[in-house]
Amino acid sequence: MKRHVRYPLYFILPALAIYVVLFVFPTLSGFAFSFTDWSSYSDEVNFIGFDNYRSLFSEGVLGLAIKNTLIYAFFVTIFVNLIGLMLALMLNHNSKMSKFYRTAFYTPVVIAPLIVGYIFTAIYSPENGILNNILRSVGLDFIAVDWLNDSRYALLSIIMTELWRGAGFAMVIYLAGLKTIPNDLLEQAGVDGASASSKFKNVIFPLLAPSFTVNFLLTIINSLKVFETVLVLTNGGPGYDTEVFNTLIFRNFSRGNWGYATASGLVLTVIVSIIAITFLRVLRKREVEM
Amino acid sequence: MSIRNLKWSRVGVEALLFVLALVVIIPFLMIVVNSLKDVTEAGRFKLTLPTTLNLDNFQAVFADGKIWRGYMNSALISVGALVITNLFASMASFSIQRNGSRLTHFLYYFFIVGLVMPVSLIPTIKLMMGLGIHNSYQGMILYYSSVLLPFTIFLMTGYLKTVPRELDDSGIIDGCGPLRLFFKIMLPLMQPVMVTASLLTIISVWNDFMGPFYLLTDGAKWTVTVSVYNYVGKYSSDWNLIFADILVVIMPILVLYFMLQEYIVEGMTAGALKG
Repeated sequence: MKRHVRYPLYFILPALAIYVVLFVFPTLSGFAFSFTDWSSYSDEVNFIGFDNYRSLFSEGVLGLAIKNTLIYAFFVTIFVNLIGLMLALMLNHNSKMSKFYRTAFYTPVVIAPLIVGYIFTAIYSPENGILNNILRSVGLDFIAVDWLNDSRYALLSIIMTELWRGAGFAMVIYLAGLKTIPNDLLEQAGVDGASASSKFKNVIFPLLAPSFTVNFLLTIINSLKVFETVLVLTNGGPGYDTEVFNTLIFRNFSRGNWGYATASGLVLTVIVSIIAITFLRVLRKREVEM
Repeated sequence: MSIRNLKWSRVGVEALLFVLALVVIIPFLMIVVNSLKDVTEAGRFKLTLPTTLNLDNFQAVFADGKIWRGYMNSALISVGALVITNLFASMASFSIQRNGSRLTHFLYYFFIVGLVMPVSLIPTIKLMMGLGIHNSYQGMILYYSSVLLPFTIFLMTGYLKTVPRELDDSGIIDGCGPLRLFFKIMLPLMQPVMVTASLLTIISVWNDFMGPFYLLTDGAKWTVTVSVYNYVGKYSSDWNLIFADILVVIMPILVLYFMLQEYIVEGMTAGALKG
């Protein structure tokens, strides 16, 4: 029997319509608005050419925001993946305890980042906060610092907060990847006398490649978009030492300079796209080679 | 590695896991015990049990924190968004996955771009004003649908790869048209992925801050997470109230997570790795 199954294309239309109107269109119109003096002060919107971009790049805050966002994204991506992978390797077996640990480590992922920010405001509190209390009680008084108001530690504190929040997500992706590795393959490696580290390098690591791709990409993209934790913990301070893209956009937005804020948003979009495309290319290529 | 070494490394792993679990659990413990203390005691952030039980913190939060209003707004917006995303994403994924043509491949990747790109919130305000849905529930529901459709389509297309085409054929032999085939045969088969998608939608809407913060100037429509921002702004040093407020806001999501975690975690990871 000849199969003549038809799947109508109009099934895609409702989703496409919503996505194009409410997601794609604002992105494109943002491109247009970034060349205007659109603001909350006047109803008129005038074309002003590259003025927004010119002042954006000459003000210097954008440079700081790019630098801080990239530093943040770099360390968060590395350590979220390291910790996530380590947890996954430790919990890759079925027992009551490991199920308990998996549930516990994923819990912070379902908490709103805004609320995580408030929780860590309390934890980092210099006088009474739990972190400094623990440090003092084990005799490490000299690192019981003012975590959020000292420019040397503020960005680090935000990064540590995100590790607490995000490591569980990387863990479950790695666990799912580990599940796809057949057990007899690992046992075979054991019989052959492969040491733990060579087992990891030659068996586990190559087979985990898809999980690496997913995790690296998701962590890097999400960390470039960081907002709530920074807003709550430092609001970009002290000075502009923890200013990131989304706090900069918000600052310009709340000053009423909407065209200008849109221009800063567009710079973020461009950077995210470049990094995402580059990363995907590199990681996919590596996956094929292995 | 000798047996003895193996034993010791097992002990090391268990100890490390225990310490890391404490790192995750202690902040939650801090919220719970301090939400029951008075203002001065809560400000010390100790993990000790409260000397007196101050349940009136919760009374104050419910009276003044716009909690019920926030719960209702979050529920309304997330239910609206999950109905739209589930229905439209499942239809789109069905056509995309089953056709597998050049055009549907292109459309699939066109949706996936939305997974990566940041949302342009400020131009969205202008758009919503133009459409007459600014500051409205419909506006927020459509906004979340547009943001969540890409991931839902990604998840469902991956899931449909595991649903054999023979099932479509049997429906077609029975004389089903495309609509009956989809609603009578496909939708019931897609139930597990729909549960996962719904849970992820609820959690995303509940936890989102940026969307309502930029798009809703009308405080009466704020979701419950935005109400926390407002509440902390008002009582910035009353940590007993802040902790009580936080506890009240995260509790529904925690309950949902503990009850249905296999749908959330396994459904999502399966989708993420298949794509």
